[in-house]
Amino acid sequence: MADPADTPAPGALDTELLLKQARTYLAFCGQLRQFVERYQDSAPNQVDWGLALRQHFDQFRTAMGESAGEPGADPELARLWTLTLELWQQNAAALGIVAPDDEHADAWRAYRQAQSQYLDLLRQAAREALDLMEQRLSERATAGQLIDSLRELYNLWVDCNEKTYGRMLRSDQYSELSGRLFNTLLRCRPQGETVP
Amino acid sequence: MIGLTPERIVEELEAFNARLTRGIQTLSGVGEIEAGVSPREAVYREDKLILYRYRPRATEPHPVPLLIVYALVNRPYMMDLQEDRSMIRGLLDAGLDVYLIDWGYPDAGDRGLTLSDYIDRYITHCVDYLRDRHRQDSINLLGVCQGGALSLCFASLYPERIRNLVTMVTPVDFHTPDNLLTHLIRHVDVDLLVDTLGNLPGGLLNFAFLSLSPFRLAGQKYVDMMDILDDAEALKNFLRMEKWIFDSPDQAGEAFRQFAKDFFQQNKLVRGEVIIGDRRVDLHHVAMPVLNVYATQDHLVPPAASRALADCCGSQDYAELSFRGGHIGIYVSARAQREIPPAIADWLLGR
Repeated sequence: MADPADTPAPGALDTELLLKQARTYLAFCGQLRQFVERYQDSAPNQVDWGLALRQHFDQFRTAMGESAGEPGADPELARLWTLTLELWQQNAAALGIVAPDDEHADAWRAYRQAQSQYLDLLRQAAREALDLMEQRLSERATAGQLIDSLRELYNLWVDCNEKTYGRMLRSDQYSELSGRLFNTLLRCRPQGETVP
Repeated sequence: MIGLTPERIVEELEAFNARLTRGIQTLSGVGEIEAGVSPREAVYREDKLILYRYRPRATEPHPVPLLIVYALVNRPYMMDLQEDRSMIRGLLDAGLDVYLIDWGYPDAGDRGLTLSDYIDRYITHCVDYLRDRHRQDSINLLGVCQGGALSLCFASLYPERIRNLVTMVTPVDFHTPDNLLTHLIRHVDVDLLVDTLGNLPGGLLNFAFLSLSPFRLAGQKYVDMMDILDDAEALKNFLRMEKWIFDSPDQAGEAFRQFAKDFFQQNKLVRGEVIIGDRRVDLHHVAMPVLNVYATQDHLVPPAASRALADCCGSQDYAELSFRGGHIGIYVSARAQREIPPAIADWLLGR
């Protein structure tokens, strides 16, 4: 057996992480439930599904727009798109680099600017994912394939986001920006001072 | 288009909530998750390094020992994760005498460790220990991922001490167009990073890996996990993998500085320009038999990055083994257990 001493591993699973994902998934489902309930009394041939979906996705887009923290934003729904930024912020915080004194105010501003641009890039990928999801749903409708479970819709949503996120990730713009995000954060630490 | 009804949605949400509630209880009672299952003993120690020998499963194991050099990133128990998912057990079953270097967890005191320390000192001392212990002029070396790159450097600098070299999912050309890790680190100011942070925190490496596929790795995976919360065994398997993923040692600062700049950013390994200590790593000196194992769906080390070895190593006995799977699946999938260890053992035993 392995020596326990040589594997001082982290806890098996952060239960809070699991609950966070569950809440986010439930927020996604809650949105879809509203959508379905709105059209439940309409006969299928009376509904312009393309238009209905577009209107519904606009709500998602609004939630995305609110994800910067404006009042009224649904934080769980916003997490659907800002997960990467959240992971980044957790790691940045773990480095112990905090808002600096006046001497480093410019460095902090540069970091905040890079972070804002990073969020813009994530939002752009998310918008493209919604467009792609609309397209995929339309293709399925044309092929006569119905989606009849929340999980299936969620998985489709994940696929679409991975696709557009992956495209963004491979871009030169992302490579430059993610590097700058990291570099600007590091410059916020007073010179000559290393993390203990 | 969407065949959902409000009733169906309510039903699905209720089922999800019920599973979640039960699952939290299961999780709290699942106990300690252990990884690393094959019996082994520590035979050599130096600083934080421990060299393990796995208890042979053959009555008379092969006289030439096999030393596994794992990456500095993540922990080596991935090679011996659980009873039915153990690359090491497969190698033992095939009659090999298997040793593994555990690098331990670097701390602030290790910040100054260089790649020369890892290659000229640690690997050299382990290899020499095994040559002496087994009375062999040369031994077999198996390098995994980044450990494969370190093994190539070692084999280039000390070719007479290596009888056969196996590289597994090992990057050689870091500038193939599909190399996402290089893409991510290309604009990072590595000097600023190391000068500021000292060691590279393991958490940052985790972020880099998760950020390659965040919707799946940090979202969907946990939603899917709800499906196995009632199955204690499946849950333990999942948690074992989680433990490994997040068990990321910090990277010794100076070694990381050189690896990030020379290998990732400047692609010096494939060009023969890496300097270890005061010696140049020329892959043409890797003249011993080489088996290069790669995974066709590897998103971290693309096949082309590994297969570049064919054009730059000096071996006249170079072979490739292709595995249909990804960077993690090649260690832990059921098919990998059937395919990889026997193939490596066959190749080694034939030489």
